[in-house]
Amino acid sequence: MDEQIFQVEKLNLYYGKKQALINVDLTIRKNHITALIGPSGCGKSTFLRCLNRMNDVIEGCRIEGSIALDGVDIYDASMNVVDLRTKVGMVFQKPNPFPMSIYDNIAYGPRCQGIKKRKILDNIVAQSLKKAALWEEVKDRLQDSALGMSGGQQQRLCIARAIAMEPEVILMDEPTSALDPIATSKIEDLMEELKKDYTIVIVTHSMQQASRISDETAFFLLGEVVEYNQTSKLFQQPDDKRTEDYITGRFG
Amino acid sequence: MNETMRNQKNKRRYTDGILNMLTYASSAICVLLLLSIFIFIFSKGSGMLGMKLLTGDYWAKNYMTSIQEKNNHPSTYKSPEDASDDMYWSERWGVGFVDARNENNEAIVLVEAIDDASPFAHLKDESRQNKPSISAESGYLLENLSYQTTQGTTRLAGNIVSQDAKTVARLLDQDAVSINKIYFKTPGGGIRGSLLTTLYLIIISLLIALPLGIGAAIYLHEYAAKNKITSGIRSAIEMLTGVPSIIFGLMGVAVLFPLTKLAGADTTNVLLGSLTMAIILLPIIIRSCEEALAIVPQTLRDASLSLGANQSQTIFKIVLPCAVPGILSGVLLSIGRVIGESAALIYTMGTYVNDSPTLLSQGTSLAVHIYNIMSSEQPNFELACAISIVILVFVFMLNLLVKLMSRRFNKAWY
Repeated sequence: MDEQIFQVEKLNLYYGKKQALINVDLTIRKNHITALIGPSGCGKSTFLRCLNRMNDVIEGCRIEGSIALDGVDIYDASMNVVDLRTKVGMVFQKPNPFPMSIYDNIAYGPRCQGIKKRKILDNIVAQSLKKAALWEEVKDRLQDSALGMSGGQQQRLCIARAIAMEPEVILMDEPTSALDPIATSKIEDLMEELKKDYTIVIVTHSMQQASRISDETAFFLLGEVVEYNQTSKLFQQPDDKRTEDYITGRFG
Repeated sequence: MNETMRNQKNKRRYTDGILNMLTYASSAICVLLLLSIFIFIFSKGSGMLGMKLLTGDYWAKNYMTSIQEKNNHPSTYKSPEDASDDMYWSERWGVGFVDARNENNEAIVLVEAIDDASPFAHLKDESRQNKPSISAESGYLLENLSYQTTQGTTRLAGNIVSQDAKTVARLLDQDAVSINKIYFKTPGGGIRGSLLTTLYLIIISLLIALPLGIGAAIYLHEYAAKNKITSGIRSAIEMLTGVPSIIFGLMGVAVLFPLTKLAGADTTNVLLGSLTMAIILLPIIIRSCEEALAIVPQTLRDASLSLGANQSQTIFKIVLPCAVPGILSGVLLSIGRVIGESAALIYTMGTYVNDSPTLLSQGTSLAVHIYNIMSSEQPNFELACAISIVILVFVFMLNLLVKLMSRRFNKAWY
């Protein structure tokens, strides 16, 4: 189980002249939950977006170093960014379902890949919703607008939407920051469940969340990875003074 | 200390009152202006409104006809039961007349009702070659009717001798033994041709400008790099919005006319007007479309991209559908612009009111029709105001339609 899926080496990222990531070295393990913590603006979200090249959209963004997914450099010219994103899905901070039906939301990704057969799509939608623990709640109203769901349901729909692509990795950018505690705990339970099939990388502002759900934790500060360790180790006996200061709430 | 604070407070209340007054006054003035426009137009024009205005020809048709005597069964015709009190019926000839006024406010006599067996329903059209049989119809102007009296002399009746309906009916019943010639005129003054031309203009110019404009907006907002060239293009487009339309009209005649000539036109024509309008609309559509694209949340684009959709899939499946309400309001603006445009169209389509416009013939939009009426020797305020009402109602309905449509597209949008 300790296979590694992402191998990040000497990653430097610049927004124009400003350097946002400095010499990041990280190894992300397969079927683990890796949490990225740190104060606002420390580069953890930026790092997350590097993993499926969502930074490509941002103008003036320049990247050095290498990120290997299953041993293949994702910033290599031969890498198709669309293929990469089918392997590395993403869930965003605010639930962002498309303004269409629940069914169409989930079928969107597969349809973009050219799957048109109704039966296959039906199957994908049902499986994804079941995996996201949403099936029982919405199975009778698949054709209703996704915007009529509650915030927590919308976020689980977004997770189901990502699952529908059968990715290897799911990146989550503060997925529970806009949700209430009950919806949050549902999503955390869901992550535990999903860990069996997928690798999860999650950015979170909640240290409790990181310590509850993650196997490894990386602490980012000013664009650098200060400490990367097993979660229990990092929270109980941090190697670095700055980590200790942060997790005990002395700054941040 | 207490004193100064109270002074301060009074002063504040004073300035507050003045500022409030100013805002109330200015909005009241705006409402009054709008109301006065409406009242002026409706009071002048509402009398002329009706299906005849909307579906009628603008140009009056002339019919020189003669009676086919064999059909007449004198003095057997009964006045129709639902006839109004204003109608004067001729039992001898089976035809009823009413008084009316024409657009120059002169008294005229109109045909109101005709018995099916009356000779007036089986006339010979003398102005055509094989003299086809025609029937007089309700609303025809009785211009000139020449008849033989019992003494055998020929007399004239109708508008040419300024008679009223009562006199005409009486003369026909008591005096006329036989009728030689009847000269009818159709009322005219309808705007069907201009309505049609306006519809042609709207449809064709939108068909051209909408895809082009949406495409350009997508390029500018989604594909183009955010650099000086892009912003240069954008400000050039915005400048186009401010170019007076008469300049577009000049360009249409000079540059686009050869194009329509290739299509077979030999005068300025509706197609040329539509092409010119399309160019006038382009900057409007591009701008409103770009604004609509800008409102679509970036998170939706991110979500789509992160699901392995490529950029064109993201744009056409997610972004554009979300931008539909904004694009629709751009369409509304454009239609309003087409309806209101006159200068560019006078150059490119002429001012000749055409009752049966085609793409390659001249024609007038409703606005140019008003121009045509008002620039003639005897400006017809009533007709101009009636057309204005048609335009206002048209724009109002469009507004409602677009609101309904965008609400449908918008349901539960965040």
